[in-house]
Amino acid sequence: MTFDILIVLMFLGAVTAYLVSKADLKAGAYATVLFSLGALVLLLLGRGEIGSEFTILFMGFEVTTIGWYFSGVMVLVYAMTAFFNSYWMDKMIYPGSYNFLYLFSLGGTVGLFFAKDLITLFIFWEIVVWSSTFIVPMGKSRRAAVVYYTISTIGSMATLYGIMLLHRISGTLDIQGAFAPLKNDPVLATVIFFIFIMAGLTKIGIFPFHIWLPLAHGSAPHTFSPVLSGGLVKMGAFIAYMSVGILPAYEAFKGSLTVMGIPIQIYALMILGAVSIVLGTLMAIKQDDAKKLIAYSSVANGGYILIGILLMDQLAFAGSMMHLFNHAIASAAAFLAIAVVAHRTGTTKISELGGMIHRMPLTYLTYLIAIISLAGIPPMGGFVSKWLIIQGLADQGLMFMALAAFFGSIGSFLYVFRPLAAVFLGQLAPRHEELASAPLLMKIPMTILMVLILFFGVLPGWILGIIGQIQVAAGIEPVMMSGNSILAVNGVLNTLNVFMVFGFGFLIALVIFMLMQKSRRVGLMDTYTSAEFIYTPELYHYGSAFYAPFERLYARHPSVEDFLMALAYKGHEAGLMVNALFFSHKPGVTVFWITVIVAVVTLGGVGL
Amino acid sequence: MIQYAGILLILIGIYGLLTETNLIKIIVSLNVFELGLNVFIISVGFVREGVAPILTSVNNHSGLVFVDPLPQALVLTAIVIGLGTTALGLAFARRIYMKHGTLNIEEIGGGIND
Amino acid sequence: MINPVLLIAIPLLLAFVSILYKGYRNNLLVFGALVNAGLVLTLGKGEYLIGGFKPPFGINLVLDDYAFLGLLVINGLFLLITLMSLDKIGENATVLLVALAGLNGLLLTGDLFNLFVFLEITAITAYILSASSRQYQHSFNYLVLGTLGSGLYLFGLILLYAVFGSLNMADLSLKMATADTSQLVIPSLLIFIGLGVEVKILPFNGWVRGVYGNSDSLVGPLFSAVYAGAMLLVFGRIFAQVIPLGAYLKTLLLLLGALTLIAGELAALSKTRIREILLYSSIGQSGLIVTLFLSGLVFPAVMQLFNNILSKAVLFTVAGQMADTTGTDDAEALQGAFARHKLAGVAFTIAGLSLIGMPLFYGFVSKINLLFGVFSLDNYWLPGVILLGTVIEGTYLIRLLVKLWMPGEEGLVSHESHATKAPLEIQRARVMGIVVLSAVLLVGGLMPGMIQNNLSESGRLLDETTPVYLFDLKGGQ
Repeated sequence: MTFDILIVLMFLGAVTAYLVSKADLKAGAYATVLFSLGALVLLLLGRGEIGSEFTILFMGFEVTTIGWYFSGVMVLVYAMTAFFNSYWMDKMIYPGSYNFLYLFSLGGTVGLFFAKDLITLFIFWEIVVWSSTFIVPMGKSRRAAVVYYTISTIGSMATLYGIMLLHRISGTLDIQGAFAPLKNDPVLATVIFFIFIMAGLTKIGIFPFHIWLPLAHGSAPHTFSPVLSGGLVKMGAFIAYMSVGILPAYEAFKGSLTVMGIPIQIYALMILGAVSIVLGTLMAIKQDDAKKLIAYSSVANGGYILIGILLMDQLAFAGSMMHLFNHAIASAAAFLAIAVVAHRTGTTKISELGGMIHRMPLTYLTYLIAIISLAGIPPMGGFVSKWLIIQGLADQGLMFMALAAFFGSIGSFLYVFRPLAAVFLGQLAPRHEELASAPLLMKIPMTILMVLILFFGVLPGWILGIIGQIQVAAGIEPVMMSGNSILAVNGVLNTLNVFMVFGFGFLIALVIFMLMQKSRRVGLMDTYTSAEFIYTPELYHYGSAFYAPFERLYARHPSVEDFLMALAYKGHEAGLMVNALFFSHKPGVTVFWITVIVAVVTLGGVGL
Repeated sequence: MIQYAGILLILIGIYGLLTETNLIKIIVSLNVFELGLNVFIISVGFVREGVAPILTSVNNHSGLVFVDPLPQALVLTAIVIGLGTTALGLAFARRIYMKHGTLNIEEIGGGIND
Repeated sequence: MINPVLLIAIPLLLAFVSILYKGYRNNLLVFGALVNAGLVLTLGKGEYLIGGFKPPFGINLVLDDYAFLGLLVINGLFLLITLMSLDKIGENATVLLVALAGLNGLLLTGDLFNLFVFLEITAITAYILSASSRQYQHSFNYLVLGTLGSGLYLFGLILLYAVFGSLNMADLSLKMATADTSQLVIPSLLIFIGLGVEVKILPFNGWVRGVYGNSDSLVGPLFSAVYAGAMLLVFGRIFAQVIPLGAYLKTLLLLLGALTLIAGELAALSKTRIREILLYSSIGQSGLIVTLFLSGLVFPAVMQLFNNILSKAVLFTVAGQMADTTGTDDAEALQGAFARHKLAGVAFTIAGLSLIGMPLFYGFVSKINLLFGVFSLDNYWLPGVILLGTVIEGTYLIRLLVKLWMPGEEGLVSHESHATKAPLEIQRARVMGIVVLSAVLLVGGLMPGMIQNNLSESGRLLDETTPVYLFDLKGGQ
């Protein structure tokens, strides 16, 4: 009962929020908070109902553990971000519609994970796509929305083709039943595998479909970027799981060629995941816009999640499942921290900011913890999940994947440090001296997320327990826990001990900080210039050309974006050609084509 | 034989439509095309040594061979319709001439909003 | 039982009356449209003889479910569009009444030659209506191509008559079913080209850009919804139910349909003027529907047809209104136009999303159905083409919607101050009309069963072998 109420409630909530917004904008924004929090509560209450089935209109639903887990992640991100909505009401062009679409897309994401048949899955998928497509252009870029939509649709249409093909083969749309005949047909399974997973790849932002992430995440309204990056991207992981777990890919590809023990079909996608990790990391390093930077880090993290899911084993899969939760809350927290900065200063350009720690310490702390988790540094949640993924990769001997994973981890130190150092640390620009700190309503979700990131880094037991159930349901060995230790083949991770060590180190550092002499604050313009007048103070900013020497190493990199844009331009040209060839105000042109067709058909017919 | 004349006229009409740039000549080509079509239709119903399908006091025995009357009826209708479209086409041609001062289709802009 | 010939006779009579009483032209038109829309609901299905000769000798009207649904939608849309755009009718009331008679005749007739007559009547009214844009060279182009097309149709049907000795559709289809298909290649091709000019198949549709691209808020929806709908239904009648196609011709024509779909969508992608985008989208949709009809998927084709014409009626009304009141319909010049016309914008958006086939709207139901249908034929390239078309179509429609809703330069937050200053007006009658239409699309999407049951009944009666998919989704069919 809980879950059908949940889904219906979100769509009713969307309408309610819209109507309330008509009366009062702030109240409408608070309605989004109430409804998304309500969804969170309902989800937690309904955990006992896992396994139940229900129908709404013509759509069938089934509550599974993995569906519950995914929608939990999603609703959490939505609920936390909703607190920010009220501050952007006067900046949005259509605040009422924003509130409507916000809850509407939430309803879509919740329904998606409980779908019992493939069409229901697709319906909710597309609902999310179009409702979020209309939110993105309310931000800084219209083009971003179109690119986002197009790439999403390429994926979802491919998946729809896969769904229809499955229906043709198996005669059913039921998720469990539809994949059943593929087990014994490796060729067909390969085709379906690659077609069906497309929606997942495009949504996660796997290379070469990653180009929409920096565009859309970077320019969406500040309150929607956390949802896009933390939430909606994870829908792709669900499709990836279905393609590997429910298909089941390993069973179907038993006879195919293997690379390092992995069927080549799966390995091919893993390579894409690895490319995404490397590419996302390198691109994130050179971004000057904090939101674009986190967006590229989402590309990299998407690569981790994909590789882990594709591996379908005890460790990496568990790590990947956990990483999608950790990445969701950490990237949401990071985007929210940037949103606070943007709210107060009006910019997200790293080189225009600096010293925010003096004005908004809690925001700084949130950002710090979030990016530590994104980079996979203990004692945050991101460390546990990345550790599990790398353990799994090492266990299988997948050295290239592990190499990419290590590269991503180390590269992430570089890119998380950039906004940290240049936005929050460093000198405060003179025009930002009078900034206020984050409003109370923004502090609540940031604190919650911060605590969650830290908590699941120290005590991941609860979440790994759920993941263990998911693994059992998927027919693989569950991840093993003993007390606070995660048991892996190559080692044991006791997160509590790690936390103790880091906590101890932190205390020592704190003591030194307290006892030693205080540093002197130096303003941005407080610099020695040999009596030269400073014309361009920006160049003296800490964050300008932050990694110039490193970026030079790959400054002339090839870009798939150029290729895709060229492809789009070719489509445009083809359209113009059609226009020029066939459409004229002169009847002779069309008469000519008629004669051509008649001639072709008659002459062709003679030959037959 | 007569159907070849019809087809020839149809082809002449289409040739005219392909090559003519004068609006009036295009309409003439269209008429030639229709004429050829009509001739062809008549030829379909033609029966050698057939008589008109009317029973009279002279022609009323069962050994008679009738010409098929249906194509003739069709042609009658087609001629009327052709007249209508020709008149309308000429009206358009006149309006174009009033607006653009020329009947040559090459000299009339083809842009959408011009 | 009411004889459906009244649907043709009443508008014709009123057309003559309207010449005598010019002052009451518009009233007569509305009266005629209302009476027709009302009459459709009271019709009884069956065959009706005209003139007392039994088929295959005489002319008969066939009112099966296919014709009934067509009449229902076409008459309903006709009424709605005339009511929406009464102020635009001007001199054309008489023409519109004749058009209504012709359109109903097209849908009702059971005789190929009778169809030709109605085709010409409808086409002549279309030429006259297209001239209301005062771009006579386009009307002239349309007239020449339309006349040539119907001439070729006549050529084809006379060849059929020469071979089979009948013009009655039912009789012919029985005779042709057992005939050698190579005999049918030339006549079917000629008929295909003849109808192809009207239903906008690719190489035959040179007139569309000039005529649709200059249409106003009356002619645009009328052409893209009412005329296109009726012509496509006629196409479906002939090519899915009367003429059997041989493998050779069928492959060629299917390719032509698929080419129309992709080329139309690509051309729309490269355009920035709203009416041009929409007209190329119409061409693409025609290609899709024609392909479905040629594949024998009558029921999915009819669903997609209804989705297309209902959406296009909304889209062209708004686009025409933009061009009428602001003098331009360039999307760039009209950015943010919906900021001041929210209700019209919502209707436009629903129509656009339904056209793409987004869930919650009727277009999704029809898209899923047609995909089921195409897959059931074990055809695996066509769905790929259709989905590729959907991707392109979605791209330009979303681009258009985003442009019209969210004004602003790249890099700046969308704000109302960037919205167009063009004096766009959308009359209340039009807003109400398009809201009604978009509500139909929404209801059709949320409760597919309701419309589905009516449609599927028609699908079954048309052809026993037409696959019928019910969208109640207890696991598929």
